[in-house]
Amino acid sequence: MAEPNDNVSSVRKAIELAVLLALLGVFVAVSLFRQWPFGLKGVALAKSIGTIIAAGLTLVMFSFLYRDNPLFKVAENLYVGVALGYGAVLTWRMALREEVYKPLFMAPTTEALYAALLHRTVPIILGILLVMRISRKHAWPSRYAYGLIVGWNAGVGISLRTHTYVLRQLHAAIAPLQAAVATGSAAALTGPWFLDVFFPFVAALAVLIGTVAVLFYFFFSVEHGPAGKAVSKVGIWFLMVSFGASFGNTLMARLSLLIGRVQFLLDDWLMIGK
Amino acid sequence: MAVPLAELRRLAIVKHVIYLLVAAAVAVPLIAHLLPGEFEPTPNARKLFDRVEALKPGTRVLISLDFDPGSEAELLPMGMAILQHCFQRGLVPLVMTNYPSGVDLARKIVEDAIDKSEEYLGKDLVSGADYAFLGFRPGDVNLLLGMGENLKGAFQTDYYGKPTANMKALAGIRSLKDFELVIDISSSAWVELWIVYGADRFGFDYGAGVTAVMGPDMYPFIQAGQIVGLLDGLRGAADYEKLLAQKGRGMFGMTAQSAAHVLVILLVLAANARFIFRRVTGKEEA
Repeated sequence: MAEPNDNVSSVRKAIELAVLLALLGVFVAVSLFRQWPFGLKGVALAKSIGTIIAAGLTLVMFSFLYRDNPLFKVAENLYVGVALGYGAVLTWRMALREEVYKPLFMAPTTEALYAALLHRTVPIILGILLVMRISRKHAWPSRYAYGLIVGWNAGVGISLRTHTYVLRQLHAAIAPLQAAVATGSAAALTGPWFLDVFFPFVAALAVLIGTVAVLFYFFFSVEHGPAGKAVSKVGIWFLMVSFGASFGNTLMARLSLLIGRVQFLLDDWLMIGK
Repeated sequence: MAVPLAELRRLAIVKHVIYLLVAAAVAVPLIAHLLPGEFEPTPNARKLFDRVEALKPGTRVLISLDFDPGSEAELLPMGMAILQHCFQRGLVPLVMTNYPSGVDLARKIVEDAIDKSEEYLGKDLVSGADYAFLGFRPGDVNLLLGMGENLKGAFQTDYYGKPTANMKALAGIRSLKDFELVIDISSSAWVELWIVYGADRFGFDYGAGVTAVMGPDMYPFIQAGQIVGLLDGLRGAADYEKLLAQKGRGMFGMTAQSAAHVLVILLVLAANARFIFRRVTGKEEA
């Protein structure tokens, strides 16, 4: 005997299917109404069809907000497949064809071919070694290529990154007034005193205090005494403000993505935003 | 403690109501073509604008559009506005991308900016003379270091296959050291790679446009003078459009974003008020 819950579930499924079919009908009707006749209104035929597909997939992705459903799964997998295919084509067109195939197999002169062989043979061999990771048995030669990459990056990166992330930042942090004036405009000394001189100075001072306090908070080598705990507390406050700013900006960024999609639906699909 | 089924259903309904409210807050201003009220562009956006404004006509500006369609909503309006500013000022933008999946988007931005600028200037802009679209080259940071030695060696042809050796748009440019200003519009670590392997090493002024998520991470570089101006998220794009006296996607998007922000603030206040009320009346456990 069927349970009451089963009846409720089957009724709900029937309603959802009916709503889905109705929405599909509305989508097709609206698409035809707004985009028809294809190829006119200054919009190319391929672009019209592409817009309808993109709009449909956008709405299907939004359907996840109601709940997970088969259409969402289809769109999700479609995205993965398309991204993979697109990536493969781009890798061929922009890297392999330009850097390997054309120089070696379409060289205009013998000199160009010799030059290509001279400059590209070793990189090509290293590239092939990297690909060998797909085989467990023959993956070991890839270590030589990876070793070169790691060594090169460490050699070039350590000095440059130390300069950018440590020395320049340290300089700006320990010289607040100087940094405030340096990042201020040329009008710093002639403009309003509060905005152009005092405020940047206080801001730079806050950066200095924040840097020291946060570093101290993460300093675990000695036990924090009363004064150390107070400085750590200040460090926690700076971290909290920083997390709050990051969260606020993240919310703004996610809303921007939604706005971008809604602008697409209104401007390109429904053509009512322009 | 297990949450009662009725409470879960109530939460599910509340969740869907919030989705609808956010959708309405975003869609209604866009449908109604509402523009934001008077606002002051941020100092960081103004600094970038002023730096571009200070360049003499004919100066080459390198613009790297390092993003793909995933970040289009925030970064496309920035790229459009900066390119249009360059064309209006008579500068020669050299556009590239470090994102293979962003090449077509970068080309679209360049072409749209050219269309709008040609309309504004009343003359045609010629590829290879008034601007150059260099496209993508593989190499990652090696490419930057290579450009620092020999830019035309790193980009032997532009995106359309034209040799760069005698290209008018690149006249006087041998390497990254010859640029007064480089601007990166980025949704990734490229914005910092340009500082490490570009600006700090070769000494050009560097401006950036980033997604709002990345914005706070950029402030230490501004404070240290490693970034001369910054556009931060959709607000940054709207700021630049405002400075250019234009009404683009950034400006229209800001109205929707402001409406959604107000809604979020109200929801946070309402949820906290409800929580406090339930605590006071003893319906919520401490």
